[in-house]
Amino acid sequence: MPVVADVISASQTPSSKRGLASPNFALNSAVALVLAFTLLPFIYIALRAFEKPLPEILDLLLRAKTLQVLGTTTALLLIVVAVNIFFGTLMAAGLHFIRLPKAHLFILPTILPLAIPSYVFTYTWLALIPSMSGLFAAAFILILTTMPYMLLAILVSLRRIDSSLIEVARTLGLSRTAIFFKVVLPQIRSSISAGALLSGLYVMSDFGAVSLLNVETLTVSIQNMFKASYDRRAASVISILLILASIIFISFNEKLKDSTAKENISKRLMAKNTRINNSGLKVVLLLSIGIYTLLAVVIPIYVLISRFIGNPNPIDFARLTETAISTISVAALGAFIALLISAPLGLLISTHAGKYSRFAERVILIGHALPGVIIGLALVSLGSKLGPLYQSTLLLAFAYALLFLAKAVASMTSALQLVPSTLKEVAATLGKSKSRVTTSVVFPIALPSIGLGTLLVFLTAMKELPATLMLRPTGMDTLATQIWSYASINRFNDAAPYALLLVLIAAIPTFLLSVPRNPGEKVESYQ
Amino acid sequence: MKALEVSHLQVNFGSRIVLSDLSFSLAPGEIASLLGPSGCGKTTLLRAIAGLLQPSAGTIRLGSQLVGVSSVVLPAHKRQTGYVPQQGALFPHLNVARNISFGLDKKIYSKQEIADITKEMLALIGMSGFENQMPTELSGGQQTRVALARALAVKPKMILLDEPFSALDAELRNELRSDVVALLRAQGTTAILVTHDREEALVSSDKVVLMRDGKIAQMGTPEDVYESPSSPSIAVSTGDALVLDAQKFSNGSISYAISPTVNQEMPSESGFVVIRPEEITISKAGAAGVPATLIQLDYYGHDAMLVLKIDNDEKLIRARLSGAIDFKVGDAVSINHQGPVRYFATL
Repeated sequence: MPVVADVISASQTPSSKRGLASPNFALNSAVALVLAFTLLPFIYIALRAFEKPLPEILDLLLRAKTLQVLGTTTALLLIVVAVNIFFGTLMAAGLHFIRLPKAHLFILPTILPLAIPSYVFTYTWLALIPSMSGLFAAAFILILTTMPYMLLAILVSLRRIDSSLIEVARTLGLSRTAIFFKVVLPQIRSSISAGALLSGLYVMSDFGAVSLLNVETLTVSIQNMFKASYDRRAASVISILLILASIIFISFNEKLKDSTAKENISKRLMAKNTRINNSGLKVVLLLSIGIYTLLAVVIPIYVLISRFIGNPNPIDFARLTETAISTISVAALGAFIALLISAPLGLLISTHAGKYSRFAERVILIGHALPGVIIGLALVSLGSKLGPLYQSTLLLAFAYALLFLAKAVASMTSALQLVPSTLKEVAATLGKSKSRVTTSVVFPIALPSIGLGTLLVFLTAMKELPATLMLRPTGMDTLATQIWSYASINRFNDAAPYALLLVLIAAIPTFLLSVPRNPGEKVESYQ
Repeated sequence: MKALEVSHLQVNFGSRIVLSDLSFSLAPGEIASLLGPSGCGKTTLLRAIAGLLQPSAGTIRLGSQLVGVSSVVLPAHKRQTGYVPQQGALFPHLNVARNISFGLDKKIYSKQEIADITKEMLALIGMSGFENQMPTELSGGQQTRVALARALAVKPKMILLDEPFSALDAELRNELRSDVVALLRAQGTTAILVTHDREEALVSSDKVVLMRDGKIAQMGTPEDVYESPSSPSIAVSTGDALVLDAQKFSNGSISYAISPTVNQEMPSESGFVVIRPEEITISKAGAAGVPATLIQLDYYGHDAMLVLKIDNDEKLIRARLSGAIDFKVGDAVSINHQGPVRYFATL
């Protein structure tokens, strides 16, 4: 077979039966390694929990206290998600469909609360109303905190709706209300569900707000057990309950998603004159934006500034600087690790759709449900076996990377998917090998979106509290832990400079995120 | 030696057979068009030649090198086939010069050589001075030119063009097409042009490959496929065609609605004839020919399409007339057929 031999010698890569697009061995192994790391905390928690005899586990799970905590968590989750869905959808639709001069300036204040973590919200409101406490206060704070996730998710998908669909519906005689329910809502259902997922998982994993307001959720229970008794096996049992609750929530959410809905990447943006120009609606919209901004931006910032100015004690600037630097460096390291480990996953999911990539996506999604407190618990429990890594900055950064891997992978995947496959094919016909195509075409084009995703991970890591409390090296403080330690003993004045600084730093990437842009727009618009 | 030789090629997508038992070859410097309706497999064939997908059976040979059999495939990046997809697909993150030099290997070419080739290519496509423009700043036609320059810069064994002009408006399309064909001929580049535009296929190529349902329906020079279609349905795909019922007689003569002769014998066989609209001549009523009435006149400027109804018959005849038209709708006329009689027993 001389002919076949000359092909083999020329190509040196006999392609597999699955066609040219089968992933290579190195990529598969890299993904397997990342998945193993993601699952590690789960496995460890499960092993620890089942060190307890079964009757004791059942006893712990079924006692009145546990059920009460589970009830509180569920109630809080339902209230926050329901309010978010209702007001988030209306506000996003208003912002998109109602004609306002300089509309993007009205979007910014509704996104800005992303820069303020729940514990800072709580502490500013507590400084204003010291008697605040209980389930509804926690729901109020968490709605303020998580509303931007909902708004961002819905706004992005509203922008993708082809406005000619709406125009066609109008010419077919549908009223605006009917169009909203029959044309718009079906197309944004998936993103409403995505927003609900984000805010729900935030509620389940939140520690700062609920703890300051004396609401005991599963996360608070775990943290308390961990702190008070160091009975890590009991904490592990409750952790499994929390993981189960998260998984149930995620799968319920998956059901809501319309799996048949195809992304409609439309080049027709909403023309100005098709927007609704009704003064009554405008007033309602401006009023709701105004109230939300007042509650979630103006009041917290006002309290922070007045506490900062009114502080009689001198500010320890050296300590503030030191804390800021350690916060930024550990969060940046975490974001960098997340970037590195999300690359193989993103490549696999974006280019090699198949059973393996779907499995990988699921595992990552479960990782998404993993509250910080559980990663913290797992890594602390593993700690003694980790030697010099235990209580190191690297371990904390690694915890951040694991915690926010789902975010990193999602932005990596969507960034890579935006690179049209014809570009990769043209590069191949111009003599570039697969790996060269990835480095010279795919990554450069996807870079801005990947950068934005990394920034998002960095921002989130900087605000992280429960895992940081558990894993920080002795003597190291982050802005989050400093705010926490002052606020939890009602020293609001002393917390103010740290909180202000955190909000200021976090506002920069938040501002970048709110600028209306679609990384794929450039690629699409000229093709 | 052939520049390209495809033999008994089969491509499956899952269980669906997209291309089956497909064979053809190209001589060096030859330009071929793949013409067919969408979904007939022309892009799939192009991608198989480029190495972007794997055939299930058959072989592809570029020059003397075997590049594709079902078990082993020379990957796209080692084939040296230039590929120009629809709308060019320029790299959005690179300027024009770096797009053109993208395929030039720095290990083989010096910096100066790369700069020289880029300059030469820009001059070739008439875009000198555009080095630093970004793809978004170019018009559709310019993008296609740069995509062609990018493919030519690496001196490929052949160039594969996948409907490169389809997004352009008619005038620009014709102009760019003739530029590109002239350029390919001047360079002596072997090329395959995928198109669903029948005029584009006829005017651009030495060889037209007509595809239907994953098979080659007919192949030949543009004149061959236009003048001597292999079936009435193929005739329609290379240009306007009238398909009329016809009778064949034992003496070999053929009779149809506007045939010059009328035979009184019993026909031995019935079938169809294919007539091109420009083979119909029209004269004033009373002249020799079949009497008919003009019922519709579509004026295109350079020519006109006339629809005529044969008197004593319900048959409609379409005719193309160039030059001045001195008929109007409702006129009684005489029509004649002056051209080859293409008889087919089946459609």
